[in-house]
Amino acid sequence: MRQVFGYVLMLLRAYTRDFTALFFGFFFPLIFMGLFGILNFGAFGHVAVGIVDEANNADSQAFRAGLAKIETLQLSSGPSDAQLESLRKGDRDIVLVIPADFKIAPARQGATVPTLTLYANQGHGEQVAVGSAILMQVIDQMSFAITQTAPVVAMKREEVAGRNLKYVDFLTPGIVGMTIMQLGVASVMFSFVVDRQRGVIRRIMATPISRRNYMAAHVLERLLLAVVQVLILLAVAVFAFKVSIVGSLGLVLAIAILGSVLFLCLGFAVTGFVTTENQAPAIMQLVTLPQMFLSGVFFSRDAVPAFLKPVSDVLPLTFLNDALRQVSTAGAGIVDVGGDLIGIVIWSAITFVIAFRFFKLEA
Amino acid sequence: MPPIVSVRELRKSYGQIKAVDGVSFDVAAREVFALLGPNGAGKTTTVEILEGLREADSGTALVAGVDVRKDPSGVKERIGVQLQQSAFPENFLAKEIVDLFALFYGRSVDSLALLRAVGLEDKAKQKSEKLSGGQRQRLSIAVAMVNEPQVLFLDEPTTGLDPQARRNLWELIRAIRDRGTTVFLTTHYLDEAEVLCDRVAIMDNGRIIALDSPRALITKLLGRGFSKPVQQQQASLEDVFLDLTGHALRED
Repeated sequence: MRQVFGYVLMLLRAYTRDFTALFFGFFFPLIFMGLFGILNFGAFGHVAVGIVDEANNADSQAFRAGLAKIETLQLSSGPSDAQLESLRKGDRDIVLVIPADFKIAPARQGATVPTLTLYANQGHGEQVAVGSAILMQVIDQMSFAITQTAPVVAMKREEVAGRNLKYVDFLTPGIVGMTIMQLGVASVMFSFVVDRQRGVIRRIMATPISRRNYMAAHVLERLLLAVVQVLILLAVAVFAFKVSIVGSLGLVLAIAILGSVLFLCLGFAVTGFVTTENQAPAIMQLVTLPQMFLSGVFFSRDAVPAFLKPVSDVLPLTFLNDALRQVSTAGAGIVDVGGDLIGIVIWSAITFVIAFRFFKLEA
Repeated sequence: MPPIVSVRELRKSYGQIKAVDGVSFDVAAREVFALLGPNGAGKTTTVEILEGLREADSGTALVAGVDVRKDPSGVKERIGVQLQQSAFPENFLAKEIVDLFALFYGRSVDSLALLRAVGLEDKAKQKSEKLSGGQRQRLSIAVAMVNEPQVLFLDEPTTGLDPQARRNLWELIRAIRDRGTTVFLTTHYLDEAEVLCDRVAIMDNGRIIALDSPRALITKLLGRGFSKPVQQQQASLEDVFLDLTGHALRED
């Protein structure tokens, strides 16, 4: 035991002299967070609605004036071709065509009612959903006003002083998860492949230290580094970006350690198939890149196309990110993220077995 | 005094290739013993079996009283090694490398004293990967001495070194022998074997084909009527080189 802890301390001291590792381990994720935090991606701002007013009468102007009062809608108007062109270019989320026969009046029995046409930008699903819901509500309210029919159901709206979830609040757990993945896989793969190739491990194995102690020290060192790294990321998030961590910090750390175990196992499993230094970066990308984009690091997994959904659902990082995010942004407890934790444990077990079978200390 | 290394009928094959093909020899305590041979003769395989790093197929090998095949870690406790093509972990200072390896033996040592013994005291605070080839070999020997070994195994210790560094290492090896440690080395430099070793074994194709002191081996050869067609030179080119450049160790 004394040997393991002594070795861990010496490894940590050497790590502090390794500027490349320090950069990629500590500053790189911070740069990522800073960049995305400042850009404030994914902030839900406005719905761009283009109005094509073919009626241009008193009623249509009243309708437009009604819409203009709604802050969420960013209105513009113009001829049909120009608006539809803007829609195709992605400058509009919705184009609404007010027909020439538009009027606000009770409809006679059996008569055709004026029909509004809504063109929706397929690429902007979220904005279209919000925008069309607002438009429908406005139309309903006008109908009620005209027909004097009382709504069948009334809705009382109460403002809840809810947490205003900023993008950086959403982003932080994603960055933490990504960092745990990168550090876990990279710290194992690069150092072990290099040490194996240069004969470092061979030299150490010529001393009486047991393989078990050797491995224990290396795993323990990396787990400690992961904890330090997560704490630094969270500190910067909280103090520099005013991120609020709603749930328990202890639970966040516990999940981070569990995730670290998983990605260290994954690192050892993958390193079993890497023989030379040159292969390492490619294999590293192969393992981590899909998870960076499919496991909800920067954006919600709602954006993942349907055919990739089944893959995205079971990726290791998906479980880790989801658990971290549930606790960090929604204050979830350990029971709420039980499913994710089981996912992490199952992945750890699978990768541990592969690592145990294929990882070799010596070439 | 019983031999400190005793090898009997040692065999090791890789597929069809018999790397070590029935090797037997003894090494006496406190001698410098060398295994000579061309590349691929089976020297390194033999040494690595004695170091507990490889398993033999058959035969026996006793090192410092321990049966290597039964207790490889017991052998590792009692010997010091310098491997061919090995390296130290990066970002450790020379002093820390010595402390690190002492930890692997469960010992704590005066690392500065060990570095002083190999002439590296002033490099104690330098990263090991920044040392020159000769300095790295000397660090490697300091590391091999952390457990006060009974036998020190050196696999091609002077390969790649300049003449000054080579002579300096010879001095170091003699000093270690004089302090009571048996030195077992492999080399393919015959001049090195001739000046440094008490006895040499010549190995080829996995077998030992000659074993004696360098002087005795030469006498036997001459006894068979061998004579060199060239005239006896009073100095070699290396003597010229060292005369011109001096024996002092260089920083490279």
